[in-house]
Amino acid sequence: MTTQTQAARSSAVTADRLRSSAAALRRRASRLKIVLGAVLAGVVVVPILLANVLPLPDPLEQDLSQRRLPPLTDGHLFGTDQLGRDLLSRILHGGQVSLTIGVLAVLVSGVVGVIAGAAAGYYGRWVDAVVSRLLEAQMSVPLLLLLLLVVALFGPSITVITLVIAFAQWPEPARLTRAMVLVEREKPYVAAARVLGLRRAAVLVRHVVPNIVNQVVVVMLLLLAQAVLLESALSFLGAGVERPHPTWGRIISDGQGYITTSWWLVTLTGLVIVLLVVGVNLLGDGLRDRVSRSRSAKGEAQ
Amino acid sequence: MARYLALRVAQSLFTVFLIVSTVFVLVRLAPGDPAAAVGGPTATTEDLQAIREELGLVGSISQQYWHFITGLVQGDLGLSYSFRQPALDVVLDRLPYTITLAGAAILLTALIAIPLGIFTARRANSGWDVGANIGTIAGQSMPEFWTGIMLLTLLAVVVPIFPASGFTSWSGLVLPAVTIALLQIALISRLVHREMAGNLAAPYVTVARSRGVAERALTWRYAFANSSIPVVTALGTRFAAMLNGVVVVEVVFAWPGIGSLVVRALETRDYPLIQATVLVTSLLAIGVQLLVDLLYPLFDPRVRVGKAVSR
Repeated sequence: MTTQTQAARSSAVTADRLRSSAAALRRRASRLKIVLGAVLAGVVVVPILLANVLPLPDPLEQDLSQRRLPPLTDGHLFGTDQLGRDLLSRILHGGQVSLTIGVLAVLVSGVVGVIAGAAAGYYGRWVDAVVSRLLEAQMSVPLLLLLLLVVALFGPSITVITLVIAFAQWPEPARLTRAMVLVEREKPYVAAARVLGLRRAAVLVRHVVPNIVNQVVVVMLLLLAQAVLLESALSFLGAGVERPHPTWGRIISDGQGYITTSWWLVTLTGLVIVLLVVGVNLLGDGLRDRVSRSRSAKGEAQ
Repeated sequence: MARYLALRVAQSLFTVFLIVSTVFVLVRLAPGDPAAAVGGPTATTEDLQAIREELGLVGSISQQYWHFITGLVQGDLGLSYSFRQPALDVVLDRLPYTITLAGAAILLTALIAIPLGIFTARRANSGWDVGANIGTIAGQSMPEFWTGIMLLTLLAVVVPIFPASGFTSWSGLVLPAVTIALLQIALISRLVHREMAGNLAAPYVTVARSRGVAERALTWRYAFANSSIPVVTALGTRFAAMLNGVVVVEVVFAWPGIGSLVVRALETRDYPLIQATVLVTSLLAIGVQLLVDLLYPLFDPRVRVGKAVSR
């Protein structure tokens, strides 16, 4: 409850001062996005993290006499599903699966992307040629089809789904890192470090990458939002982590058949996904604005 | 120009070849016997052997690959199990539906996203700008399958304006196209906004304004003309990606296109059908991208010399 009033207050402040200068407005817009994003994401993430300690029914416990109870009945805040399982508990446990896969996938794709992008940008020549061709080729791949095929062939385990999502996402950090390293390697400090006798790899790892890494890290939040959406789309299409684990996509796909009689199954689950993804996206976008502004304030070209 | 075109076509064909080969390898790397999956629990040893022969799963990997490639060149991708007809025909039958849906969605996107992006860019750093910024972030945060089901429930079940599924009349196109466009409008209008804001703040626009060029001309003939290449590229890329199957939306709306075909082919492990789909869709997607590249000179005289665009 307190978190909601906080969001309302900060947005009201911004609306009040909309007529001030452009720079001030930009700063305030990014602050609004960061605060709003943190609140929205927090509203979803905190209960998900606490799902195991909160006094909730087991997400797998069926009670056929309690089928499809509407929200707010018999202590079921979000109601129950077609097998009498508590919907809130299932959404929160499904969220654990989504967040685990999302965070792991972003870490994997981030590490792979930064390494590939940094090597391509720094070493150029054949390294760049190979990485750039791979990035181009992936744009023409029927991606979702390939991901579905891999999951169908290798089984819907958390590992497979994580790797599949990481594969879909590595081009973004790779492209970004490559572009930034291309600019960074021409700067005087790189030449200076070389003159001081540092090896090329050492300059890259100890000096160039640390200088760009926080911009890439900020983009990771946006990738996390995409990863959560992709995971839910895969599980909606039947390529989610195997039953009985609840996943967001499957709760919605199972609930689709009951939409006219039990609206809450699809509606509430979808709203939770939207809240989380909007929150993470706003947070990431706001932080990116702030990071790129502090860089340009220091007189560095993007 | 002809040389550049030939190079690009060769490159594209090579990429398609790589993609198709990857799928070939993936299918064979997978654990378990595809023949057993196809034949079901009642299949006898002879049945399984027959299925393997039909699948091109006999002999060494290199023999299988040769068999597959020679078939590919002749346009023979095998029989689809679930449809009992040539896999390629099944895919080509479904193709017009996906092209129609993707075309409608991209048209809707362009018609709304371009004016929206220009409108907010001309009011940069105002409440409109911030509002549109947050609105588009929200727009790209909604899962398509969820917005699809919601639109379907509200506008086809609760208030029955549109048909609920399939392609029975042209009005059946509205809801799936709108579902896809909602996400694409968010993405494209952000791009239009970024490009336009950058161009409108560029020195050449300031100079033109000081010489008395009207705001309308500044917006369209100056800034928009210079923003059109990235925007057209993005629209083309999005359209190409949609031809790869608007899988989720087609499934939600039971649209008889490539996307819903893919999901069915995967469920039934219909390998020839999967391979045919991959081939057709990647050929199309790459073809569209090539076409977009070739259209650049129409939008920007600077690239009319016949060189690749290097931005």
